[in-house]
Amino acid sequence: MNNPKLLSLNSTTSLISRFTRGFIQALIRINKQRPVTSSSPREMYIRHRRIKSAADKSMALAVRSRRNWSRAVLARFRKKRRRHVLVRRITTCAMKKRGLENKKSGHKEASHGQANELRRLVPGGEAMDLCSLLEETAHYLKCLNTQVQVMRCVADSYSTI
Amino acid sequence: MDPPLISESSFSVANPSSYSLAEIWPFQINGANEVAIGGGGGGGLGLRIGNLGWFVDNSGHNRDGSAEESTVTEHSGGNGARKMRDLSSEDETSKLVSITASTGNNDLNDSNSKRIRATGSKNENGGLKTEVEANSVAGDKPAEQSCKPELPKQDFIHVRARRGQATDSHSLAERARREKISERMKILQDLVPGCNKVIGKALVLDEIINYIQSLQRQVEFLSMKLEAVNSRVNVNPAIEGFHSKELGAQPFDATGLMYGSQAARDYLQGVQSEWLHMQIGGSFERAS
Repeated sequence: MNNPKLLSLNSTTSLISRFTRGFIQALIRINKQRPVTSSSPREMYIRHRRIKSAADKSMALAVRSRRNWSRAVLARFRKKRRRHVLVRRITTCAMKKRGLENKKSGHKEASHGQANELRRLVPGGEAMDLCSLLEETAHYLKCLNTQVQVMRCVADSYSTI
Repeated sequence: MDPPLISESSFSVANPSSYSLAEIWPFQINGANEVAIGGGGGGGLGLRIGNLGWFVDNSGHNRDGSAEESTVTEHSGGNGARKMRDLSSEDETSKLVSITASTGNNDLNDSNSKRIRATGSKNENGGLKTEVEANSVAGDKPAEQSCKPELPKQDFIHVRARRGQATDSHSLAERARREKISERMKILQDLVPGCNKVIGKALVLDEIINYIQSLQRQVEFLSMKLEAVNSRVNVNPAIEGFHSKELGAQPFDATGLMYGSQAARDYLQGVQSEWLHMQIGGSFERAS
């Protein structure tokens, strides 16, 4: 009900600027941490995953744990990081396996019904009832839209440099 | 005999022994609540108030929403009438029609006639009565629980809603939930482009799911593109990398941010980039 008010123009622009700042900083950090040495498909894939997760994380940070889905995303990253610290040595293997596991569990959850499908798509939606799930979906959609726009702009600006 | 004498504490704890004005007060609260909720609901406000006043009139107390204080002074003399009003007020707050303990034969007859006429009015007015009940159940349940928690519910079976609407609290809550869900669906329909024409909850949900998936795929694709571009940026201006390392990455960050936000603003104003054709699904064209 108060969703459109909550995401008025002012807060949307501030959200965009916060996300842009965080995302560009993350990109710079990624570039610094992992200078491009090879263009092998695996390296490219890893870099792609890192950029993707950086985008997700900076989006969730821009929303700031005000919403269920952003909280879920942040919690997932925290968990991943903890695990990452534990098994730093075997990163690539573990990541591959984890991705497979995630995919498998996701498929199992989306057994039937569109609500379950939606629950699978919206982060943190597994534990929600339909009402709050729809509300979260609305907010998540807006943020996803913003994310796509900003990423497009960043990619555009980088490719023109 | 003035209404301002009524204190807060006296109507939160309704003691049946002292027949003070405070016992009338919960009903007025009820009326106020109904006015508030009915105002949110739109039309039919005056009709609902009239309906409510008519109920109470039938129970023999000549009271309606506006002229409450004067009728209170009118009926201050009779003990039985007072008791009856107490009962009826509690009835109003809980379920509108029920007989609890009766003080006398006269009162019983009174309330019987009230019930008969109440059903008559229900038949006349259709679903209005259920609306009143919905409001009273939704608004005054916590306030009423201290007074009479469960007793009027058994008698409530007599009242059946028109148009096949159930009136127990579970179905009322369910109805409220469904309304909430449809409201959210409407918001979502406004968000998803091209979803306004779609009729049916399942189809709308399908559209929403498709849209979210396409957006997530776009994010995936854009991160892939950024990966390629980012590495090229890093490789090509190698000297700039040193520069940024020396200066703590501040200048590059600032320019990038400025450019990014500027580009975002441009994009928001509707400037179409030339690489829009590269997107997946093309659902974003409808969005912008």
